[in-house]
Amino acid sequence: MRGIVLEWKKEKRTGILPAFLGGGILAGAVPLANMAFRSEMYLKQYTPWMQVSRTPFAILLDANWQMMAMLNMLLVVTGACLLYHTEYADNGLQKMRTLPLWEGTCFLGKTVLLFFLSLLLLAIEAGAIAFCAGHWFEGAMEGISAWLELGLYFGYAFLRMVPCILLSLLVAEACRNMWISLGIGVLCLFTATLLPAQVMSSGKIQFLAFFPFAMPFRMTTDMEGILENVAGGMWDLYAAAIWAAVLVLAGWLYRKGRRAWA
Amino acid sequence: MYMMETCNLTKTYEGFTAVSNVSLHIPQGAVYGFLGPNGAGKSTTMKMFLGLTRPTSGSFTIDGRQYPRDRMEILRKVGSFIEAPAFYGNLSGEENLDVIRQILGLPKSAVTEVLELVGLTPFRKRLARKYSLGMKQRLGLAGALIGHPPVLILDEPTNGLDPVGIHEIRNLIRSLPQRYDCTVLVSSHLLSEVELMADNIGILNHGHLLFEGTLEDLKSSAASQGYPTDNLEDTFLAMVDADNRQRGVTR
Amino acid sequence: MNFLTLVGMELRKTRRCGIGYILLAATVILWVPSILHIDLNFGMEAEGISPEHNFFIQGFLAMTWFLFPASMVAGCVLLGQTERTNRGILRMLTLPVDTVRLCLAKFAVLLVLAAVQILMMTGMYYISALIGSEIRDYNFVLPFWFVAGQTGGLFLSSIPMIAFFWMLSVWIRTPIFSIGLGLASIVPSVLVINTKLWFAYPMAYPLFVVTAQYGRLAANLDTAQVEWVPWIPVAVAVTAACLGIACYRFGREERI
Repeated sequence: MRGIVLEWKKEKRTGILPAFLGGGILAGAVPLANMAFRSEMYLKQYTPWMQVSRTPFAILLDANWQMMAMLNMLLVVTGACLLYHTEYADNGLQKMRTLPLWEGTCFLGKTVLLFFLSLLLLAIEAGAIAFCAGHWFEGAMEGISAWLELGLYFGYAFLRMVPCILLSLLVAEACRNMWISLGIGVLCLFTATLLPAQVMSSGKIQFLAFFPFAMPFRMTTDMEGILENVAGGMWDLYAAAIWAAVLVLAGWLYRKGRRAWA
Repeated sequence: MYMMETCNLTKTYEGFTAVSNVSLHIPQGAVYGFLGPNGAGKSTTMKMFLGLTRPTSGSFTIDGRQYPRDRMEILRKVGSFIEAPAFYGNLSGEENLDVIRQILGLPKSAVTEVLELVGLTPFRKRLARKYSLGMKQRLGLAGALIGHPPVLILDEPTNGLDPVGIHEIRNLIRSLPQRYDCTVLVSSHLLSEVELMADNIGILNHGHLLFEGTLEDLKSSAASQGYPTDNLEDTFLAMVDADNRQRGVTR
Repeated sequence: MNFLTLVGMELRKTRRCGIGYILLAATVILWVPSILHIDLNFGMEAEGISPEHNFFIQGFLAMTWFLFPASMVAGCVLLGQTERTNRGILRMLTLPVDTVRLCLAKFAVLLVLAAVQILMMTGMYYISALIGSEIRDYNFVLPFWFVAGQTGGLFLSSIPMIAFFWMLSVWIRTPIFSIGLGLASIVPSVLVINTKLWFAYPMAYPLFVVTAQYGRLAANLDTAQVEWVPWIPVAVAVTAACLGIACYRFGREERI
């Protein structure tokens, strides 16, 4: 806990909180703008009197999530670069290494910090989606179950982001120069956008689909799929857990190695 | 009883030996002056003490603890100040120290005390990147002194200070062993400066330890080898020069 | 000092910075999947585009939509940080160099980076097209002048965008804002190119130009085409304004 407070203190005046707030608002504006300009296109898909109707969330997320996820990941990459840039800019990290501190503390603190910031980001976006659903789709936000469903969507969205957050931080820790970590982040993100759409959406398990930067682009919009269908959302969660373990281990090995070769 | 001891400490970079078979003996409660021209290996040695650089061979102990086994405990005991000041530019001086204080688990008063000690109290709210060179130096020193660690490693702590500041910091370092019962390893490239602070000195040139002992020892050994002794700076220069000539290096 | 000498000096400052590897990796990542999925180029009857044109244009679309602009943002970070990390900028300001010329020289370096990336991209295109031709026994290689015209147009259309990024990185001192704004401004390009006001958004220019070309190559696709007026006047004005602000702000913080 202390480590997190400490990391938070170190980020004073770097603008990381306003950046995430602003990013959240920008991403939240995507569905709002989409609905404001062409709501009829999406309302057409909403047919609650029919058995096969999709929920307003599914319609909204299908239409906007790609762009929102892109913004989220850009922020995560930039945020991770910045968190380590403050360490490297005036040699702060060297001071940290001469203090009696378990070496992973810094990384752990920054990870939790970035988790919080990402949750903030997702909360703003969830708010925007909730507003759109409530404003344009009649009766969509009535009752507690709608909020629960929304929470579930974004909860899974967060879990899918975890590997991407860890990998960005690891890259940023390893690179003294910010443009290198930024460049690598941009490359990873670009690689994810290159993966063909059919890989991303098909239920088939494809190795590339579990690339950390590719996972956050997916937003399973059929809830039964997440809860029951193993070929759907659950695989992402297993993948996220495995990635998290692998990346934490890689970070540990990297820190060990760095000291051995210094 | 030696507080810090090294045994044949060596650091080799590709094709270049920065520190070669150095065996230092630093007694408890002493101010030990670590002397040598630029690039002699002083900083490398100090970095090895702090685990920032890994020795190629040889070993060292600090207060009986061995690196790398007891790395954490060593770091807990050592306050350090290495090369260019290391800090967070976006934080004020006080906030910088507060980060260190929290990691060391010290009471809040430790920051106030150490700010007062190095004379930064009036500037504590200013951002560290807006500090002058001297203030940054003081901030670095404060970061080393906070919490009265039993061992202090200071790399050229008076660099960039004005004469009044140099005098002040020198007196501070001089008084530390009595005040806080600590051992100080301080490096410099000026013998005249070390002379005023240190009880023991070690002279390093091209990674080799030329001399280790008290100032009196230095005078007598220099006299016996035919170096000038009326001015210690000349003694030092003559020793380094002789060593360079012996190695066939011209500087 | 001659302006070209100044640019050469600025280029020298970027030595050993590793950006070349990143640009190279980007082009490789871009073309390898194109070779792997080369069969897709033969199933474009709906769009009415020939396989060799499709192969070429898909690669350039992928590049211009995100990778190329984002690399330029990273390039701005590189130029800014090399000056700031060890206060190189202070050294520069104490030398008898005009700050406006210095600022423009750095912008020229960015343009060189852009050109290098486009050239690498083109070189890699030819390599992949040759490999693709071998695999499928079909000639994917397009004539040199056609490719040169396309890449030249891409480079020219990216100048206002690069000027905008450069202005952001000079003007906004907080790194997360200049980087964040730069990267975030790329994302809406996909939407903007479909509107009538695309010419008001410099980040969309390269993507618009390539998309328009896609429309020309594909018989059954109808994409918006370049209208020189008001585009060119707006582009020139945007570039001039961005460079003006950048030059005005350059080194100002350090001199207070």
